[in-house]
Amino acid sequence: MNAFVLAETENGARELCAGARQIADEVTLFTFGNAVTGVADKCLHLQIPEDAIADDAYPSVNESFDASGAKVVLAEPTVRVTNLAGRLAAHANTAAVPGVNALKDGVATSVYFGGTGVKESKPETDVSVYLISAGTFDGTQATGTDTVEEVEFKAPEKLAVKKGTAALPKSDIDLASADKIVACGRGFAKEEDLQLARDFASKIGAEVACSRPLSEGVNWFPREAYVGVSGAVVKPDVYFAVGISGQMQHMVGCNDSGTVIAINSDKNAPIFKQCDVGIVGDLKDVLPALTKAL
Amino acid sequence: MNILVACKIVPDDQDITVASDGSLDSSRAHEIVSQYDLNAIEAAAQLKEANEGSTLKAISVGPKKADDSKTKKDILSRGVDELYLMADDSLADLDSRATATELAKLVNKAGDWDVIIVGDGSADDYAKQTGVQLACALDVPYVAGATNLSFQEGNLEIQRNLESESEDIELAVPAVVSVSPEIAEPRIAGMRDILKAGKKPQNVEAAEEKPEESIETVSIKAPKQADRKQEVFDASDGEGLDKFVSAVKEVL
Repeated sequence: MNAFVLAETENGARELCAGARQIADEVTLFTFGNAVTGVADKCLHLQIPEDAIADDAYPSVNESFDASGAKVVLAEPTVRVTNLAGRLAAHANTAAVPGVNALKDGVATSVYFGGTGVKESKPETDVSVYLISAGTFDGTQATGTDTVEEVEFKAPEKLAVKKGTAALPKSDIDLASADKIVACGRGFAKEEDLQLARDFASKIGAEVACSRPLSEGVNWFPREAYVGVSGAVVKPDVYFAVGISGQMQHMVGCNDSGTVIAINSDKNAPIFKQCDVGIVGDLKDVLPALTKAL
Repeated sequence: MNILVACKIVPDDQDITVASDGSLDSSRAHEIVSQYDLNAIEAAAQLKEANEGSTLKAISVGPKKADDSKTKKDILSRGVDELYLMADDSLADLDSRATATELAKLVNKAGDWDVIIVGDGSADDYAKQTGVQLACALDVPYVAGATNLSFQEGNLEIQRNLESESEDIELAVPAVVSVSPEIAEPRIAGMRDILKAGKKPQNVEAAEEKPEESIETVSIKAPKQADRKQEVFDASDGEGLDKFVSAVKEVL
Protein backbone atom coordinates (compact mmCIF):
# COMPACT_ATOMS: atom_id res chain seq x y z
CA MET A 1 0.00 0.00 0.00
CA ASN A 2 1.10 3.58 -0.67
CA ALA A 3 0.77 6.51 1.69
CA PHE A 4 0.71 10.22 0.84
CA VAL A 5 2.07 12.70 3.38
CA LEU A 6 1.09 16.37 3.22
CA ALA A 7 3.33 18.60 5.35
CA GLU A 8 4.84 22.05 5.33
CA THR A 9 7.40 21.98 8.15
CA GLU A 10 10.44 19.73 8.24
CA ASN A 11 9.49 18.36 11.64
CA GLY A 12 5.96 17.62 10.44
CA ALA A 13 7.31 15.90 7.34
CA ARG A 14 9.65 13.73 9.43
CA GLU A 15 7.04 12.65 11.95
CA LEU A 16 4.32 11.94 9.41
CA CYS A 17 6.67 10.09 7.06
CA ALA A 18 7.84 7.95 9.99
CA GLY A 19 4.18 7.19 10.77
CA ALA A 20 3.38 6.51 7.13
CA ARG A 21 6.29 4.05 6.92
CA GLN A 22 4.65 1.95 9.66
CA ILE A 23 1.51 1.46 7.60
CA ALA A 24 2.63 1.66 3.98
CA ASP A 25 5.25 0.11 1.69
CA GLU A 26 5.77 3.30 -0.23
CA VAL A 27 5.68 6.85 1.10
CA THR A 28 5.23 9.97 -1.03
CA LEU A 29 5.81 13.31 0.67
CA PHE A 30 4.19 16.42 -0.75
CA THR A 31 5.41 19.75 0.62
CA PHE A 32 5.30 23.42 -0.28
CA GLY A 33 7.83 24.22 2.45
CA ASN A 34 11.47 23.26 2.01
CA ALA A 35 11.99 19.89 0.34
CA VAL A 36 12.87 17.23 2.93
CA THR A 37 15.04 14.31 1.87
CA GLY A 38 15.76 10.97 3.51
CA VAL A 39 12.27 10.62 4.93
CA ALA A 40 10.13 9.36 2.03
CA ASP A 41 10.58 7.35 -1.18
CA LYS A 42 9.92 10.52 -3.08
CA CYS A 43 9.54 14.15 -2.06
CA LEU A 44 7.24 16.18 -4.28
CA HIS A 45 8.04 19.85 -3.86
CA LEU A 46 5.85 22.72 -4.98
CA GLN A 47 6.88 26.36 -4.99
CA ILE A 48 3.88 28.59 -4.25
CA PRO A 49 3.81 31.65 -6.56
CA GLU A 50 4.32 34.89 -4.66
CA ASP A 51 0.79 36.17 -5.24
CA ALA A 52 -0.99 32.89 -4.42
CA ILE A 53 -1.89 31.24 -1.14
CA ALA A 54 -0.72 27.67 -0.52
CA ASP A 55 -4.32 26.62 0.12
CA ASP A 56 -4.95 27.12 -3.60
CA ALA A 57 -2.37 24.49 -4.52
CA TYR A 58 -5.12 21.90 -4.23
CA PRO A 59 -5.39 21.06 -7.96
CA SER A 60 -1.66 20.16 -7.92
CA VAL A 61 -1.98 18.26 -4.62
CA ASN A 62 -5.00 16.28 -5.78
CA GLU A 63 -3.35 15.41 -9.09
CA SER A 64 -0.15 14.24 -7.36
CA PHE A 65 -2.24 12.21 -4.94
CA ASP A 66 -4.10 10.50 -7.79
CA ALA A 67 -0.80 9.72 -9.52
CA SER A 68 0.69 8.26 -6.32
CA GLY A 69 -1.99 5.59 -6.08
CA ALA A 70 -2.05 6.12 -2.29
CA LYS A 71 -5.05 5.12 -0.21
CA VAL A 72 -3.94 6.76 3.02
CA VAL A 73 -3.15 10.44 3.59
CA LEU A 74 -1.38 11.75 6.68
CA ALA A 75 -1.53 15.54 6.93
CA GLU A 76 0.11 18.07 9.24
CA PRO A 77 -2.48 20.22 11.03
CA THR A 78 -1.14 23.66 10.07
CA VAL A 79 -3.63 26.25 8.79
CA ARG A 80 -2.79 25.72 5.13
CA VAL A 81 -2.25 21.96 5.13
CA THR A 82 -5.53 21.50 7.03
CA ASN A 83 -7.28 23.19 4.11
CA LEU A 84 -5.40 21.20 1.50
CA ALA A 85 -6.29 18.01 3.39
CA GLY A 86 -9.95 19.08 3.30
CA ARG A 87 -9.82 19.74 -0.44
CA LEU A 88 -8.09 16.39 -0.97
CA ALA A 89 -10.64 14.58 1.21
CA ALA A 90 -13.52 16.10 -0.79
CA HIS A 91 -11.74 15.16 -4.01
CA ALA A 92 -11.46 11.55 -2.78
CA ASN A 93 -15.11 11.50 -1.61
CA THR A 94 -14.31 11.31 2.07
CA ALA A 95 -13.91 13.45 5.18
CA ALA A 96 -10.62 14.01 6.97
CA VAL A 97 -10.34 12.57 10.49
CA PRO A 98 -9.20 15.53 12.64
CA GLY A 99 -6.98 15.83 15.70
CA VAL A 100 -5.50 12.35 15.51
CA ASN A 101 -3.04 11.51 18.30
CA ALA A 102 -2.87 7.74 17.77
CA LEU A 103 -3.47 5.57 14.74
CA LYS A 104 -3.77 1.79 14.76
CA ASP A 105 -5.26 -0.49 12.09
CA GLY A 106 -6.97 2.48 10.49
CA VAL A 107 -8.69 3.47 13.76
CA ALA A 108 -7.78 7.01 14.82
CA THR A 109 -7.90 8.36 18.36
CA SER A 110 -8.87 12.03 18.65
CA VAL A 111 -9.71 14.54 21.34
CA TYR A 112 -13.49 15.06 21.65
CA PHE A 113 -15.19 18.09 23.17
CA GLY A 114 -11.88 19.61 24.08
CA GLY A 115 -10.76 16.59 26.04
CA THR A 116 -14.07 15.85 27.78
CA GLY A 117 -13.96 12.69 25.72
CA VAL A 118 -11.74 10.52 23.58
CA LYS A 119 -13.15 9.52 20.21
CA GLU A 120 -12.10 6.54 18.13
CA SER A 121 -13.12 6.68 14.51
CA LYS A 122 -12.39 4.96 11.23
CA PRO A 123 -12.97 6.10 7.66
CA GLU A 124 -15.29 3.74 5.76
CA THR A 125 -14.27 5.11 2.41
CA ASP A 126 -11.78 3.89 -0.18
CA VAL A 127 -9.35 6.64 0.84
CA SER A 128 -8.53 7.61 4.44
CA VAL A 129 -7.33 11.11 5.32
CA TYR A 130 -5.96 11.81 8.80
CA LEU A 131 -4.84 15.13 10.32
CA ILE A 132 -2.10 14.04 12.70
CA SER A 133 -1.18 16.05 15.80
CA ALA A 134 2.48 16.87 16.42
CA GLY A 135 4.30 14.28 18.49
CA THR A 136 2.13 11.33 17.41
CA PHE A 137 5.03 9.63 15.60
CA ASP A 138 8.79 9.63 16.20
CA GLY A 139 10.37 11.69 13.42
CA THR A 140 13.82 10.19 14.01
CA GLN A 141 12.50 6.87 12.66
CA ALA A 142 11.84 8.30 9.19
CA THR A 143 13.77 6.72 6.33
CA GLY A 144 13.85 7.37 2.61
CA THR A 145 15.66 8.47 -0.51
CA ASP A 146 17.01 11.83 -1.65
CA THR A 147 14.66 11.97 -4.64
CA VAL A 148 12.99 15.36 -5.04
CA GLU A 149 10.60 16.15 -7.87
CA GLU A 150 9.32 19.63 -8.58
CA VAL A 151 5.57 19.91 -9.04
CA GLU A 152 3.97 22.70 -11.03
CA PHE A 153 1.48 25.04 -9.35
CA LYS A 154 -1.80 24.59 -11.19
CA ALA A 155 -4.08 27.45 -10.30
CA PRO A 156 -7.73 26.66 -9.62
CA GLU A 157 -10.27 28.49 -11.74
CA LYS A 158 -11.10 30.92 -8.96
CA LEU A 159 -8.32 31.72 -6.56
CA ALA A 160 -7.32 34.07 -3.79
CA VAL A 161 -4.75 36.82 -4.40
CA LYS A 162 -2.02 37.21 -1.80
CA LYS A 163 -1.25 40.90 -1.55
CA GLY A 164 1.27 40.83 1.22
CA THR A 165 2.84 38.88 4.01
CA ALA A 166 4.59 39.82 7.22
CA ALA A 167 6.44 37.81 9.83
CA LEU A 168 4.46 37.52 13.04
CA PRO A 169 6.35 38.92 16.00
CA LYS A 170 8.61 36.08 17.04
CA SER A 171 7.67 34.90 20.43
CA ASP A 172 10.38 34.02 22.89
CA ILE A 173 7.99 31.61 24.53
CA ASP A 174 9.12 28.03 24.27
CA LEU A 175 6.58 25.92 26.09
CA ALA A 176 7.34 22.68 24.25
CA SER A 177 10.81 22.28 25.73
CA ALA A 178 10.16 23.91 29.11
CA ASP A 179 10.63 21.61 32.09
CA LYS A 180 8.74 23.97 34.39
CA ILE A 181 5.70 26.05 33.47
CA VAL A 182 3.78 28.62 35.52
CA ALA A 183 0.35 28.99 33.89
CA CYS A 184 -1.92 31.92 34.77
CA GLY A 185 -5.70 31.94 34.54
CA ARG A 186 -8.71 34.06 35.24
CA GLY A 187 -7.79 34.25 38.91
CA PHE A 188 -5.53 37.15 37.94
CA ALA A 189 -7.88 40.10 38.27
CA LYS A 190 -5.44 42.71 36.98
CA GLU A 191 -2.72 42.55 34.36
CA GLU A 192 -0.17 44.02 36.77
CA ASP A 193 -0.68 41.03 39.09
CA LEU A 194 0.95 38.85 36.43
CA GLN A 195 4.27 40.26 37.63
CA LEU A 196 3.90 38.02 40.69
CA ALA A 197 3.82 34.98 38.40
CA ARG A 198 6.70 36.29 36.30
CA ASP A 199 8.83 36.90 39.39
CA PHE A 200 8.14 33.40 40.65
CA ALA A 201 8.79 31.83 37.23
CA SER A 202 12.07 33.66 36.84
CA LYS A 203 13.14 32.51 40.31
CA ILE A 204 12.63 28.83 39.48
CA GLY A 205 13.55 29.05 35.76
CA ALA A 206 10.06 28.40 34.43
CA GLU A 207 8.23 29.58 31.33
CA VAL A 208 5.05 31.60 31.89
CA ALA A 209 1.91 30.39 30.10
CA CYS A 210 -1.81 31.08 30.39
CA SER A 211 -5.29 29.70 29.93
CA ARG A 212 -7.37 30.76 26.96
CA PRO A 213 -9.21 33.77 28.47
CA LEU A 214 -5.93 35.58 29.19
CA SER A 215 -4.79 35.16 25.60
CA GLU A 216 -7.93 35.44 23.50
CA GLY A 217 -10.15 37.27 25.96
CA VAL A 218 -8.04 40.10 27.37
CA ASN A 219 -4.89 39.80 25.23
CA TRP A 220 -2.52 39.80 28.17
CA PHE A 221 -0.55 37.00 26.51
CA PRO A 222 0.34 36.09 22.91
CA ARG A 223 -1.49 33.05 21.62
CA GLU A 224 1.65 30.89 21.77
CA ALA A 225 1.41 31.13 25.54
CA TYR A 226 -2.03 29.60 25.74
CA VAL A 227 -2.25 26.01 26.98
CA GLY A 228 -5.37 24.07 26.11
CA VAL A 229 -7.29 22.21 23.50
CA SER A 230 -6.83 24.65 20.63
CA GLY A 231 -3.55 25.97 22.01
CA ALA A 232 -0.36 24.34 23.20
CA VAL A 233 -0.25 20.84 24.64
CA VAL A 234 2.64 20.69 27.09
CA LYS A 235 4.39 18.02 29.16
CA PRO A 236 6.72 19.77 31.63
CA ASP A 237 8.09 18.06 34.74
CA VAL A 238 6.24 20.57 36.92
CA TYR A 239 3.14 22.55 35.96
CA PHE A 240 1.88 25.33 38.20
CA ALA A 241 -1.78 26.18 37.53
CA VAL A 242 -2.29 29.56 39.15
CA GLY A 243 -5.80 30.99 39.23
CA ILE A 244 -6.88 28.31 36.75
CA SER A 245 -10.15 26.59 37.53
CA GLY A 246 -9.22 23.32 35.81
CA GLN A 247 -11.79 23.06 33.03
CA MET A 248 -11.27 20.16 30.66
CA GLN A 249 -10.47 22.52 27.79
CA HIS A 250 -7.42 23.69 29.67
CA MET A 251 -6.43 20.43 31.36
CA VAL A 252 -6.19 18.52 28.09
CA GLY A 253 -3.23 20.80 27.36
CA CYS A 254 -1.32 19.87 30.54
CA ASN A 255 -2.62 16.45 31.64
CA ASP A 256 0.64 14.73 30.79
CA SER A 257 2.72 16.99 33.03
CA GLY A 258 4.86 15.27 35.65
CA THR A 259 3.57 17.08 38.74
CA VAL A 260 0.62 19.50 38.73
CA ILE A 261 0.59 22.17 41.46
CA ALA A 262 -2.55 24.27 41.89
CA ILE A 263 -3.12 27.67 43.48
CA ASN A 264 -6.73 28.83 43.56
CA SER A 265 -8.92 30.86 45.89
CA ASP A 266 -11.99 28.70 45.16
CA LYS A 267 -11.84 25.52 47.20
CA ASN A 268 -14.39 23.92 44.85
CA ALA A 269 -12.33 24.56 41.70
CA PRO A 270 -12.04 21.32 39.68
CA ILE A 271 -8.27 21.83 39.48
CA PHE A 272 -7.94 20.51 43.06
CA LYS A 273 -9.13 17.07 41.87
CA GLN A 274 -6.48 17.10 39.14
CA CYS A 275 -3.41 18.30 41.03
CA ASP A 276 -0.71 16.61 43.07
CA VAL A 277 -0.20 19.52 45.43
CA GLY A 278 -2.61 22.41 45.87
CA ILE A 279 -3.44 25.35 48.06
CA VAL A 280 -6.70 27.15 48.57
CA GLY A 281 -5.59 30.75 48.88
CA ASP A 282 -5.11 34.14 47.29
CA LEU A 283 -2.43 34.00 44.59
CA LYS A 284 -1.30 37.44 45.75
CA ASP A 285 -0.25 35.89 49.06
CA VAL A 286 0.89 32.49 47.81
CA LEU A 287 3.10 33.51 44.85
CA PRO A 288 5.26 35.99 46.82
CA ALA A 289 5.63 33.41 49.59
CA LEU A 290 6.86 30.84 47.06
CA THR A 291 9.19 33.33 45.37
CA LYS A 292 10.67 34.21 48.72
CA ALA A 293 11.08 30.65 49.95
CA LEU A 294 12.58 29.06 46.84
CA MET B 1 -23.98 42.20 0.23
CA ASN B 2 -25.74 38.99 1.21
CA ILE B 3 -24.00 37.11 3.98
CA LEU B 4 -24.59 33.62 5.32
CA VAL B 5 -23.12 32.33 8.55
CA ALA B 6 -22.97 28.62 9.33
CA CYS B 7 -23.11 27.58 12.95
CA LYS B 8 -23.35 24.35 14.88
CA ILE B 9 -25.69 23.74 17.80
CA VAL B 10 -24.01 21.44 20.32
CA PRO B 11 -24.60 20.19 23.85
CA ASP B 12 -22.97 22.45 26.42
CA ASP B 13 -19.86 20.52 27.42
CA GLN B 14 -20.22 21.83 30.98
CA ASP B 15 -23.33 19.62 31.24
CA ILE B 16 -21.74 16.47 29.81
CA THR B 17 -21.32 13.81 32.47
CA VAL B 18 -19.43 10.54 32.54
CA ALA B 19 -21.55 7.43 33.01
CA SER B 20 -20.33 4.53 35.14
CA ASP B 21 -19.23 2.59 32.04
CA GLY B 22 -16.97 5.46 30.98
CA SER B 23 -19.28 6.66 28.20
CA LEU B 24 -20.25 10.32 27.90
CA ASP B 25 -23.81 11.35 28.65
CA SER B 26 -25.02 14.56 27.04
CA SER B 27 -28.74 13.73 27.35
CA ARG B 28 -29.26 16.35 30.04
CA ALA B 29 -27.04 18.97 28.46
CA HIS B 30 -28.43 22.31 27.29
CA GLU B 31 -28.12 23.03 23.60
CA ILE B 32 -25.90 26.01 22.82
CA VAL B 33 -24.22 27.57 19.82
CA SER B 34 -20.72 26.14 19.54
CA GLN B 35 -18.34 28.62 21.17
CA TYR B 36 -16.24 29.75 18.21
CA ASP B 37 -19.33 29.95 15.99
CA LEU B 38 -20.45 32.87 18.18
CA ASN B 39 -17.33 34.72 17.00
CA ALA B 40 -18.28 33.83 13.42
CA ILE B 41 -21.81 35.19 13.91
CA GLU B 42 -20.37 38.39 15.39
CA ALA B 43 -17.88 38.80 12.52
CA ALA B 44 -20.73 38.27 10.06
CA ALA B 45 -22.95 40.78 11.89
CA GLN B 46 -20.15 43.38 11.87
CA LEU B 47 -19.58 42.80 8.14
CA LYS B 48 -23.30 43.30 7.57
CA GLU B 49 -23.35 46.49 9.65
CA ALA B 50 -20.32 47.87 7.79
CA ASN B 51 -22.01 47.37 4.40
CA GLU B 52 -25.33 49.18 4.23
CA GLY B 53 -28.22 47.23 2.76
CA SER B 54 -26.66 43.85 3.57
CA THR B 55 -28.54 40.81 4.78
CA LEU B 56 -27.37 38.11 7.19
CA LYS B 57 -28.90 34.65 7.37
CA ALA B 58 -27.73 31.79 9.58
CA ILE B 59 -27.67 28.15 8.45
CA SER B 60 -27.32 25.12 10.70
CA VAL B 61 -27.64 21.35 10.53
CA GLY B 62 -28.10 19.11 13.54
CA PRO B 63 -30.15 16.54 15.46
CA LYS B 64 -33.79 17.12 16.42
CA LYS B 65 -32.82 18.70 19.73
CA ALA B 66 -30.94 21.43 17.86
CA ASP B 67 -34.43 22.78 17.15
CA ASP B 68 -34.32 24.48 20.55
CA SER B 69 -36.31 27.70 20.90
CA LYS B 70 -33.85 29.40 23.23
CA THR B 71 -30.85 28.60 21.03
CA LYS B 72 -32.63 29.70 17.85
CA LYS B 73 -33.55 32.96 19.54
CA ASP B 74 -29.95 33.33 20.70
CA ILE B 75 -28.73 33.12 17.09
CA LEU B 76 -31.36 35.59 15.88
CA SER B 77 -30.58 38.09 18.66
CA ARG B 78 -27.02 38.59 17.38
CA GLY B 79 -27.68 40.62 14.26
CA VAL B 80 -28.93 37.66 12.18
CA ASP B 81 -32.07 38.37 10.08
CA GLU B 82 -33.28 34.87 9.34
CA LEU B 83 -32.48 31.27 10.28
CA TYR B 84 -32.41 28.13 8.14
CA LEU B 85 -32.14 25.03 10.30
CA MET B 86 -32.28 21.39 9.28
CA ALA B 87 -32.95 19.44 12.47
CA ASP B 88 -33.35 15.69 12.31
CA ASP B 89 -31.95 12.82 14.32
CA SER B 90 -30.49 11.34 11.14
CA LEU B 91 -28.26 14.43 11.09
CA ALA B 92 -26.67 13.84 14.52
CA ASP B 93 -22.86 13.77 14.72
CA LEU B 94 -22.26 13.98 10.98
CA ASP B 95 -18.72 14.09 9.65
CA SER B 96 -17.54 17.25 7.89
CA ARG B 97 -18.33 16.06 4.39
CA ALA B 98 -21.88 14.99 5.22
CA THR B 99 -22.42 18.23 7.18
CA ALA B 100 -21.23 20.27 4.21
CA THR B 101 -23.52 18.35 1.85
CA GLU B 102 -26.53 19.21 4.05
CA LEU B 103 -25.43 22.82 4.60
CA ALA B 104 -25.12 23.23 0.83
CA LYS B 105 -28.81 22.30 0.53
CA LEU B 106 -29.69 25.09 2.97
CA VAL B 107 -27.40 27.52 1.11
CA ASN B 108 -29.39 26.85 -2.03
CA LYS B 109 -32.63 27.58 -0.18
CA ALA B 110 -31.39 30.78 1.48
CA GLY B 111 -31.32 32.79 -1.76
CA ASP B 112 -28.52 34.89 -3.24
CA TRP B 113 -25.32 35.03 -1.25
CA ASP B 114 -21.86 36.54 -1.59
CA VAL B 115 -19.98 35.07 1.33
CA ILE B 116 -20.46 32.25 3.81
CA ILE B 117 -18.70 32.74 7.12
CA VAL B 118 -17.89 29.75 9.31
CA GLY B 119 -16.23 29.47 12.72
CA ASP B 120 -12.73 28.22 13.49
CA GLY B 121 -13.84 24.75 14.55
CA SER B 122 -16.74 23.21 16.44
CA ALA B 123 -16.69 22.40 20.15
CA ASP B 124 -17.04 18.65 19.63
CA ASP B 125 -14.60 17.56 16.92
CA TYR B 126 -12.79 20.89 16.33
CA ALA B 127 -12.09 19.53 12.86
CA LYS B 128 -11.72 22.82 10.95
CA GLN B 129 -13.03 20.86 7.96
CA THR B 130 -16.67 21.82 7.44
CA GLY B 131 -15.83 25.19 5.84
CA VAL B 132 -13.43 23.72 3.30
CA GLN B 133 -15.82 20.85 2.53
CA LEU B 134 -18.62 23.37 2.04
CA ALA B 135 -16.44 25.38 -0.34
CA CYS B 136 -15.80 22.14 -2.28
CA ALA B 137 -19.52 21.28 -2.33
CA LEU B 138 -20.32 24.75 -3.70
CA ASP B 139 -17.20 24.94 -5.90
CA VAL B 140 -16.02 28.30 -4.55
CA PRO B 141 -12.72 29.56 -3.08
CA TYR B 142 -11.98 29.14 0.61
CA VAL B 143 -9.75 31.05 2.99
CA ALA B 144 -9.33 29.94 6.60
CA GLY B 145 -8.34 31.75 9.76
CA ALA B 146 -9.38 35.35 9.03
CA THR B 147 -8.47 37.76 11.82
CA ASN B 148 -9.88 40.72 9.89
CA LEU B 149 -12.50 40.79 7.17
CA SER B 150 -13.93 43.63 5.08
CA PHE B 151 -15.68 44.10 1.76
CA GLN B 152 -14.09 46.64 -0.57
CA GLU B 153 -14.89 47.35 -4.22
CA GLY B 154 -16.60 44.04 -4.66
CA ASN B 155 -13.86 41.93 -3.08
CA LEU B 156 -13.26 40.49 0.37
CA GLU B 157 -10.12 41.82 2.03
CA ILE B 158 -8.84 39.26 4.51
CA GLN B 159 -6.02 39.25 7.01
CA ARG B 160 -5.05 35.97 8.58
CA ASN B 161 -2.35 34.51 10.76
CA LEU B 162 -0.48 31.38 9.82
CA GLU B 163 1.91 29.69 12.26
CA SER B 164 4.69 32.27 11.91
CA GLU B 165 3.51 34.86 9.39
CA SER B 166 0.43 36.88 8.52
CA GLU B 167 -1.09 37.21 5.07
CA ASP B 168 -3.17 39.93 3.38
CA ILE B 169 -5.51 38.30 0.91
CA GLU B 170 -7.98 39.59 -1.65
CA LEU B 171 -10.77 37.23 -2.56
CA ALA B 172 -13.53 37.58 -5.13
CA VAL B 173 -17.02 36.57 -4.04
CA PRO B 174 -18.75 34.19 -3.82
CA ALA B 175 -16.50 32.48 -1.29
CA VAL B 176 -16.41 30.65 2.03
CA VAL B 177 -14.28 32.19 4.80
CA SER B 178 -13.52 30.71 8.20
CA VAL B 179 -12.73 33.20 10.92
CA SER B 180 -10.33 32.98 13.84
CA PRO B 181 -12.00 33.46 17.26
CA GLU B 182 -10.01 36.66 17.84
CA ILE B 183 -11.74 38.40 14.90
CA ALA B 184 -14.65 39.59 17.02
CA GLU B 185 -15.84 39.25 20.60
CA PRO B 186 -19.45 37.94 20.60
CA ARG B 187 -21.97 40.60 21.63
CA ILE B 188 -24.20 40.31 24.63
CA ALA B 189 -27.69 40.65 23.21
CA GLY B 190 -29.93 43.22 24.88
CA MET B 191 -33.51 42.57 25.95
CA ARG B 192 -34.78 44.39 22.86
CA ASP B 193 -32.69 42.20 20.55
CA ILE B 194 -33.97 39.07 22.26
CA LEU B 195 -37.61 40.21 21.96
CA LYS B 196 -37.09 41.12 18.32
CA ALA B 197 -35.41 37.76 17.69
CA GLY B 198 -38.65 35.95 18.49
CA LYS B 199 -40.35 37.64 15.56
CA LYS B 200 -37.66 36.92 12.96
CA PRO B 201 -38.29 34.20 10.35
CA GLN B 202 -37.20 30.67 11.22
CA ASN B 203 -37.18 28.00 8.56
CA VAL B 204 -36.90 24.63 10.28
CA GLU B 205 -37.11 21.43 8.31
CA ALA B 206 -36.37 17.72 8.61
CA ALA B 207 -33.72 15.90 6.59
CA GLU B 208 -34.65 14.91 3.06
CA GLU B 209 -32.75 11.65 3.47
CA LYS B 210 -30.01 10.34 5.71
CA PRO B 211 -26.74 11.66 4.32
CA GLU B 212 -23.95 9.32 3.41
CA GLU B 213 -21.18 9.35 6.00
CA SER B 214 -17.48 8.75 5.37
CA ILE B 215 -16.29 8.19 8.94
CA GLU B 216 -17.55 5.59 11.36
CA THR B 217 -17.40 6.45 15.06
CA VAL B 218 -15.98 3.40 16.83
CA SER B 219 -16.26 4.69 20.41
CA ILE B 220 -16.52 7.82 22.53
CA LYS B 221 -15.30 7.52 26.08
CA ALA B 222 -14.17 9.71 28.93
CA PRO B 223 -10.39 10.10 29.01
CA LYS B 224 -8.39 8.23 31.59
CA GLN B 225 -7.74 10.70 34.39
CA ALA B 226 -4.14 11.07 35.42
CA ASP B 227 -3.74 9.70 38.91
CA ARG B 228 -2.90 12.74 41.03
CA LYS B 229 -2.08 12.86 44.74
CA GLN B 230 -4.52 15.72 45.46
CA GLU B 231 -2.65 16.92 48.55
CA VAL B 232 -4.48 20.22 49.07
CA PHE B 233 -3.67 22.77 51.77
CA ASP B 234 -5.68 25.78 52.91
CA ALA B 235 -3.95 29.13 53.32
CA SER B 236 -6.52 30.19 55.91
CA ASP B 237 -5.24 27.45 58.24
CA GLY B 238 -2.39 28.83 60.30
CA GLU B 239 0.31 26.59 58.82
CA GLY B 240 -1.34 25.83 55.45
CA LEU B 241 0.85 28.16 53.43
CA ASP B 242 4.08 26.95 55.05
CA LYS B 243 3.15 23.33 54.49
CA PHE B 244 2.32 24.07 50.88
CA VAL B 245 5.65 25.85 50.34
CA SER B 246 7.49 22.85 51.83
CA ALA B 247 5.57 20.45 49.59
CA VAL B 248 6.46 22.55 46.52
CA LYS B 249 10.12 22.65 47.61
CA GLU B 250 10.12 18.89 47.76
CA VAL B 251 8.78 18.63 44.18
CA LEU B 252 11.33 21.10 42.82
